[in-house]
Amino acid sequence: MSALRPARALRNPAVWQGALSLAALFALWQAAGTLRVGSFGDIPTPMDVGRALLEAAGTAKYWLNWAVSSKRVALGFLAGTLLGVPVGLALGMSRTMHGIVFPVMETLRPVPPLAWVPLSILFWPTLELSITFVIFLGAFFAVALNVLGGVAAIEPSFLRAALSMGAQPRHIFWRIVLPATIPAIVTGMALGMGLTWEIVVAAEMIAGKTGLGYLAWEGFVNGSLVSILVAMVSIGVAGFLSCGLIWALGHKATPWLKRTG
Amino acid sequence: MTAPRTWQMALGFGLFFGLWYLATAVLALPRFERIPDPLEVLLQWVSRNPTYGFSIFTPDYYKHIGYSVYRAYTAFVLAVALGVPLGLIMGWSPLFRRFTFPVVELIRPIPPLAWVPFAILLLPGTEQAVIFVTFIAAFFATVLNSFLGVRSIDPVYFRAAQCLGFRSREVFVHVVVPGALPFVFTGLQLAMGLSWFALVAGEMISGRHGLGFMIFEGYSLAQYPNIIIFMVTLGLLGYASSAGVRILGRRLMVWRERQLGGAAA
Repeated sequence: MSALRPARALRNPAVWQGALSLAALFALWQAAGTLRVGSFGDIPTPMDVGRALLEAAGTAKYWLNWAVSSKRVALGFLAGTLLGVPVGLALGMSRTMHGIVFPVMETLRPVPPLAWVPLSILFWPTLELSITFVIFLGAFFAVALNVLGGVAAIEPSFLRAALSMGAQPRHIFWRIVLPATIPAIVTGMALGMGLTWEIVVAAEMIAGKTGLGYLAWEGFVNGSLVSILVAMVSIGVAGFLSCGLIWALGHKATPWLKRTG
Repeated sequence: MTAPRTWQMALGFGLFFGLWYLATAVLALPRFERIPDPLEVLLQWVSRNPTYGFSIFTPDYYKHIGYSVYRAYTAFVLAVALGVPLGLIMGWSPLFRRFTFPVVELIRPIPPLAWVPFAILLLPGTEQAVIFVTFIAAFFATVLNSFLGVRSIDPVYFRAAQCLGFRSREVFVHVVVPGALPFVFTGLQLAMGLSWFALVAGEMISGRHGLGFMIFEGYSLAQYPNIIIFMVTLGLLGYASSAGVRILGRRLMVWRERQLGGAAA
């Protein structure tokens, strides 16, 4: 609550020192740019970027790029989560499934998602689907493996207690496995969300015609560092907001966990 | 490895390759027409005279591996050399933390891959740009985990060290570094994975050589089996690198495994 009282917040060294360091960073960057120190003369100053960002925010095209990238992330992420959670749970619950599927998954996992882009373009009929598929892959592995880890980490005595009291497999699933894995699902989703923004940006640079990643690429083609920085800031904000959303939903879904910091 | 485990694994791989072969070579299902079948890929990969110019017998294959390995490891080593000390000091000194942490947190949400165009425009060559992007990806994982490692140390150890008259330098060497080591190695493993992840994208977008570039080249030149050959190669290299970091971590933290009663082995 102290953050709401400016006077007290300012007396907190963590707050004023942090603010000071950020202010110093921007001031130095601005000064180096204005005074054209070394290669800083070529880099746009924070003021330039801020002005360009405001200008871009007034155009429909900028928001269209936001919408396109967000849609791709949302679809790929949703598909990855919807498939990753059940697969992770199934692998965690059934030894046979684990024995059959897990080695194949572990073989595919070290191949970075973006290495799938060309194959994905060959397979899917539209570019939109190819990009979404690669995003899906990234989210799927992050979610499935975290869920699997979550199931494996369940205290065995819970399962034994349930079994000795005559619980059916479905009781064990709904009463123990699922609630115990929700934190791991949330972690997997947050990790997956971070990854999806990485992937969408790169996929749009490689193959896109629209989206925030393409915005950065367009800036590169036009040799405009200001546009590139505007795109970078936008992508950072987008990723930050979506991860924040996942964590907020996760906190809602796991009210029993103790929060620190 | 018990018997059911082995046949289950065989069944899993059998199904995977069998279905892949069936969909591409035998049934040639719609949408699978342009996907190379596994047998063709394997034959190309081990052919002395490959149709598309790359197999385990061609020197060019190793040239591209060499480029990618060099880039990934240069970036990784730089990230570790800068990231681990920065993270440790950030976790250890409150003053340093308050000044640097906000800056790290400000830059961190920008995906490393979004740096690609910026790096190409600003750095003198694409080589440096690719390494820079890979470095950024590995750096934040290293810093953050080293930082969390120090924060995870029980404060009792710091107080005990103070009581015993340790100077700051000794606290750093005997408490901070060993205490943070498990997290540092988690960070290194993540960083290794992220290095390869970012490297591929960097090479695809701006490379002239390397595995990521060759995967895309396989697509552009319609040499489809090469796409899979280089994807598999990339997977193997990524896997071997992560395994290397893991083994190194175990060696350095023998004391921790003893503490856990060998449970982590």
